[in-house]
Amino acid sequence: MPQKVEILRNIINQVLENNSKEKISSLKSSTNLRDEIGLDSFDLAELTVRIEMKFGVDVFESGIVLTVGEILNKLDNGNG
Amino acid sequence: MDKNKIFLFDPLQQREYSYERFFDRLNNIESIPSFIYTDDIFEIFLTVTASLLYNKNIVLLDYDFKESELGQFGLNDESLLKREPVALNKRVDENNFIQSVQESRDWQITLYTSGTTGQPKKITHGFKSISRMVKISDKKKNDVWGFAYNPTHIAGLQVFLQAIFNLNTIINLFGSSSGEILSLIDEYNITNISATPTFYRMLVPSNRKFNTIKRITSGGEKFNPALFQRMSEIFPNARILNVYASTEAGSLFASDGDSFSIKKEDAENVKIVDGELLIHKHMLGISDSFELEGDWYNTNDLVEFLPDSNLRFKFIGRKNEMINVGGYKVNPCEVEEIINSHPAVTVSRVYGRKNSVIGNVLIADVTVENSNVSEKDLKSFLQEYLQPFKIPRIINLVDAIEVTRTGKLKRV
Repeated sequence: MPQKVEILRNIINQVLENNSKEKISSLKSSTNLRDEIGLDSFDLAELTVRIEMKFGVDVFESGIVLTVGEILNKLDNGNG
Repeated sequence: MDKNKIFLFDPLQQREYSYERFFDRLNNIESIPSFIYTDDIFEIFLTVTASLLYNKNIVLLDYDFKESELGQFGLNDESLLKREPVALNKRVDENNFIQSVQESRDWQITLYTSGTTGQPKKITHGFKSISRMVKISDKKKNDVWGFAYNPTHIAGLQVFLQAIFNLNTIINLFGSSSGEILSLIDEYNITNISATPTFYRMLVPSNRKFNTIKRITSGGEKFNPALFQRMSEIFPNARILNVYASTEAGSLFASDGDSFSIKKEDAENVKIVDGELLIHKHMLGISDSFELEGDWYNTNDLVEFLPDSNLRFKFIGRKNEMINVGGYKVNPCEVEEIINSHPAVTVSRVYGRKNSVIGNVLIADVTVENSNVSEKDLKSFLQEYLQPFKIPRIINLVDAIEVTRTGKLKRV
């Protein structure tokens, strides 16, 4: 689990950096993707593609995901 | 004509065929297959010419069509073997060849479009529509053609007819690597090449100059001023011509830059409705799969007239290639054009990947000359020229980009 958080933080930072936004240093389950990290819908779309490229899971497939914890849940359930 | 004049050199088989041999084969043909289904370019050219000479209809098939695709056309192994006998009454040589083939006025050739969408469509052309742009003149008799199209597609067929009607030498470049192509241009003093912009972009990294080339023709995809500039540097003596052609209609319009001229006599057969180019059915081949709107065929090509003229237009993109990104329409050609203008980029391909958040996410595959360029560098570059929704969210630096059977960028 901690490893996944770390990978997810790297992916989020890649999205932020590519789009000239400020990177984040820590990530909590409760962190809100839009309000706290500042991702817009295009950033979220990019994030889903990058997560899917890494984990093979489309985390937005069954509806909007709001927090880091919700992504991690999907990753834990999605693969199996 | 020099007895040993080369008709065709095929580097894939390392074989050279003289005109003497070509005429000899034509004069000794006893039967002609009804379908051309081979990857041997000499046999393809020979059979097309024989069908024209003996006025027998012919069907051209891609050699990489799968059995299932052939099945969709109603063909099987047995039907492909069908041959028609011909009377051995023709004696052609370099003096009567052109006159002899031109007598076949009701000859028809059928081909299948590569189909950017869905399954290939069957199109039949007569001599007139297929040879609309063919020009015969004494000035052209020493032309040496770099043959860069698939020989079973309409563009290849047109280049072949242009070459054979002037008894030119043809050097097959289709299927060779850029390095091999550049050596062949030198070795055979190639004077003319007709190809897609993608083909030329693959050649562009070259810093060399090729002085023998006097004519470069580009067609099938959007051509842009940056490529035009690079091509003029590599081929300093070449006139660069851009052709608008389609499998449905053959070659229609030509231009010296990125806009096309409509001939005065064709003005009534061409119109633009809602930004899309419509062509009157008079200009088309014959096909069951044309969907006409009244008497008009919609090319689905997005074009616009130049401000000062209704006889000149610019190609903007293909309607069915537009990608919907979060409700915005993105023209992949436009984005590729900007990406390709980055000094390190050789070729790019922009496409949409289905996405549950915004419909499609824009992705670019890019080949670069200088591996120090990063995804972030390219994005910063694009931010100067494109609205945010047009910037690919993911840029993959790749070793190679696939092209279609026709030599165009492969659209996903």
